[in-house]
Amino acid sequence: MSSGEALATPGAALARAGPSSRLDIAGAVLVACGLFLGLLVALPLAWLAFFALTDKDGAFTGANLARLVTDDSLAAPLRISLIVATSVGAISAAVAAPIAWFVARTDMPGRNLVRVLITASFVTPPFLGAIAWEILAAPNSGLLNHWYRWLHDLPPFVHLFDIYTVAGLIFVDSCYAFPFVFVLVANALDRMPADMEDASAILGARPWRTAWRITLPLALPAILAGMLVAFLRSLTLFGTPAILALPGNFHTITTKIWSLFQYPPNPGLAAAASIPLLLLTIVLLQVQNRVLGRRGYAVIAGKAGQARLLRLKHWRWPAFGLCFLVLCLPIGLPYFALLKAAITTTIAEPLSLQTLTLKHVRFVLFEFSPTRLAFQNTVVLAVATATTGTALALVVSYATARRLVAGHRLLNFLATAPIAVPGIVLGVGLFLAYTRGPVVLYGTLWILFLAYLTIELPAAYQQLQSAFRSIHPELEEAGRLFGAGRMRILRDILAPLLKSGVIAAWCFIFIGVMRELSAAVMLFTAQTKVISVVIYDLNESGDLGAISVLGIALLAVTFAIVYLAQRVGGAGIGRTARPA
Amino acid sequence: MAGELPDVPRSATVRQRSFPFDRCIPLMAKVELVRLSKSYGGQPAVDGIDLEIPDGVLACLLGPSGCGKTTTLRLIAGFVEPDTGEVRVGGALLSSRERTLAPEFRRMSMVFQSYALWPHMTVAENVAYGLRLRGMPREEVRRRVDAILSVTRLSTLSGRYPGELSGGQQQRAALARALAVEPQTLLLDEPLSNLDANLREEMRFEIRRLHDAYRYTTVYVTHDQAEAMTAADLIVVMNGGRIEQAGSPQDIYQHPRSRFVASFIGGTNILEGEVLARDTVALDGLVLRCREGEAEGERAAVSIRHHEVQLSGEPFGAETNGAAGTVVRQIYLGAHRDYLVALAGGTQLRASAPMELDLAPGTSIYVYLPPENCRLLAA
Ligand SMILES: Nc1ncnc2c1ncn2[C@@H]1O[C@H](COP(=O)(O)OP(=O)(O)O)[C@@H](O)[C@H]1O
Ligand SMILES: [Mg+2]
Repeated sequence: MSSGEALATPGAALARAGPSSRLDIAGAVLVACGLFLGLLVALPLAWLAFFALTDKDGAFTGANLARLVTDDSLAAPLRISLIVATSVGAISAAVAAPIAWFVARTDMPGRNLVRVLITASFVTPPFLGAIAWEILAAPNSGLLNHWYRWLHDLPPFVHLFDIYTVAGLIFVDSCYAFPFVFVLVANALDRMPADMEDASAILGARPWRTAWRITLPLALPAILAGMLVAFLRSLTLFGTPAILALPGNFHTITTKIWSLFQYPPNPGLAAAASIPLLLLTIVLLQVQNRVLGRRGYAVIAGKAGQARLLRLKHWRWPAFGLCFLVLCLPIGLPYFALLKAAITTTIAEPLSLQTLTLKHVRFVLFEFSPTRLAFQNTVVLAVATATTGTALALVVSYATARRLVAGHRLLNFLATAPIAVPGIVLGVGLFLAYTRGPVVLYGTLWILFLAYLTIELPAAYQQLQSAFRSIHPELEEAGRLFGAGRMRILRDILAPLLKSGVIAAWCFIFIGVMRELSAAVMLFTAQTKVISVVIYDLNESGDLGAISVLGIALLAVTFAIVYLAQRVGGAGIGRTARPA
Repeated sequence: MAGELPDVPRSATVRQRSFPFDRCIPLMAKVELVRLSKSYGGQPAVDGIDLEIPDGVLACLLGPSGCGKTTTLRLIAGFVEPDTGEVRVGGALLSSRERTLAPEFRRMSMVFQSYALWPHMTVAENVAYGLRLRGMPREEVRRRVDAILSVTRLSTLSGRYPGELSGGQQQRAALARALAVEPQTLLLDEPLSNLDANLREEMRFEIRRLHDAYRYTTVYVTHDQAEAMTAADLIVVMNGGRIEQAGSPQDIYQHPRSRFVASFIGGTNILEGEVLARDTVALDGLVLRCREGEAEGERAAVSIRHHEVQLSGEPFGAETNGAAGTVVRQIYLGAHRDYLVALAGGTQLRASAPMELDLAPGTSIYVYLPPENCRLLAA
């Protein structure tokens, strides 16, 4: 025993002389990060649970939870939410999977255009899409209904579409949820080894048979996962139902929670109503992990050869036409509607030189006082959240990807846990946690900052963690052999390799903050309005022209950032070498 | 030329349940490549290949990585369309610039380098897939699957998923899937490259055994010369998208026609010198008469294999083809000794010598390069 220790000493001494003193500092930083992450999620959720389970005097009660079942004004919205979310999941998969297949596997023309348009619907804030569809298909004032009456010479109030219905909500929700399925499925198809399909072809299978028996089953996990994502998005979305359901005189669970905070507020009931949302999200994310994590589908993936594109022959253009028509729904028509509303006095007026006006632009930019403050708040919050979030994600993902500390699993859990907390639920939790002592943040930008940070962290964390995983540890070890310390390696070796991932993460947080409404709508005050909230407010007052101007500005900034992220961040990542 | 294409069934005729193979490819499967070329982005991957593989022959495409073997194979399979040239099987034109018959009509099978076993199907389902496509009755499918699984020694694993198999078992499953449909032509793309050395040797004989049992025309791609030597009837050495030489293993080994072939296959000395006569080259005090090949121009290269060089402590006493040198290095290899010898002018030669000849580095030594083993090489 003692001889063993004697032998071990010189080596241990050597190891200690090197970079380990720096690691101790790093350790302290990590502990701080862990505590902060813990507080970020735990505090609001603890308050949520407390309010859900106590009455006004702080005594334990199950009454709030019981009312979820007994009180139909709560149970009905939950039912509607489940119906809407299920439909959205199914419709999204049914629409997205064929488009993804066309784009990834066939010689359909305009495949890149389709990808670009889908990216555009991906980054369009859903509440903006909902407002645009309001402009298009509100029963009386909607453009489409207007045209319909004009074409058939019908009296007022006759309409073709009514967007303020459950069906309308499902439709608009699907428009902005199907890109999630598309991205997952297209990604799976892009990565699927071409050999899998070639092997089927050479045995004599016709292309449709290969698509049905080989491609579809292999893409199935991605399709299912996409459906779950679409389902969850729809279930927890606030903006779209708030814009479409409230005028239609029905509630979804999110608008119900929000309404419980309107006068007279009932935080206990709101907290209780948040619980099923929270539990459902946690369970479904678990299911999704199962589906995507089934080893069998990944392990023996062959080398990714270049896929042969299926010749559609005379179906090429019809296929493109179909994709294009589908994409008119989230992009073409709504963008046209926004543009038209922004530059004409009233929506129904035909577009001509006489009806053109800069009235709305002038109003938004110079006359409407909340605009400037909201823009300022939004930018400050977006920059602060993106920077803090990226830094935090970087440190934590490094620690977990390299298993630097004993508690790396816990850290990993803490950094991904916020995914399971829907924005509106987090809003309720933060409201409850920070409106009273010891720390009062309600009414400041800080509470919004915390909300955004919590909401955006998981995605940034996961992105950076996979970036770290793709960098082989031996690259670092090679550096260490030359005597570089951990920090030095971080700077000289990791930073250049990670640059694109970091920039992408920053950009996505930025965009995420700009379009966030669910949590902000619970937490804003007159001095801390952000753009999304201003748009939502304007919608209540029916000023569609001003909304359109603001919305277009929001979209312009978003697209600029997406472009930047793709230019700087997209290059070099995810390129796989062709097999020899 | 396009008129010679077999009549590809169009959508109207596809309704029939059984596979319309007989309308596509004649049963004899002589594979012919005629001036076949394919470029990627201006770079030729396959550069005007002419090759004829007789029916029932196992041909190896052999060459270094990137020389166009896979592209050639995929051209034969119909996954890639040629820029120029033709692919014919049994005389029928399958690929040309104008028209390419889709892979599914070619009566071929392929074993992919990655195996490409479908992870959502069991071994038995993978193997049965091609048979089902042919509209075979259930019983018949089961019988054939059982038969091929026992030939490939996979019977006990038929219910497993590919993810639950070892590398060698996956390889056999891929082979079973390809053989089950009794293809006219079997294509193999480096099927053994993912296996460890022992297994590779075993599978090499396995592939040969199955080929002898079924006698498909087989095109086997590899970069490993030992694999090619043991398995092939016909070796096709490729380099830079072209065929350097095609012939039997013995022919390729004993009569390499180019420097590339000589050095790619087996251990070879390549000696460059001045041409004295059509069969004589001089270099570094060595006058080499060559029994094979003809020299053109002023300089030429001669190849001789390591084990063909003779060594001795005493002079050989021959008029030509001998010289004196010094031992630079000697390695004991168990069955023989590997010598590196330097001639007076510094030219180095490698030679294998019997165990008995044990000379230390620095001692002088005599080399003899028998004329019958010296080959003059083209360029
Ligand atoms: N799909 C492709 N796209 C671009 N270049 C290719 C493609 N396929 C093959 N090549 C190029 O053609 C050459 C031959 O490739 P390949 O046939 O795969 O060689 P081998 O199988 O002999 O290693 C290589 O230089 C390769 O880079
Ligand atoms: Mg290859």
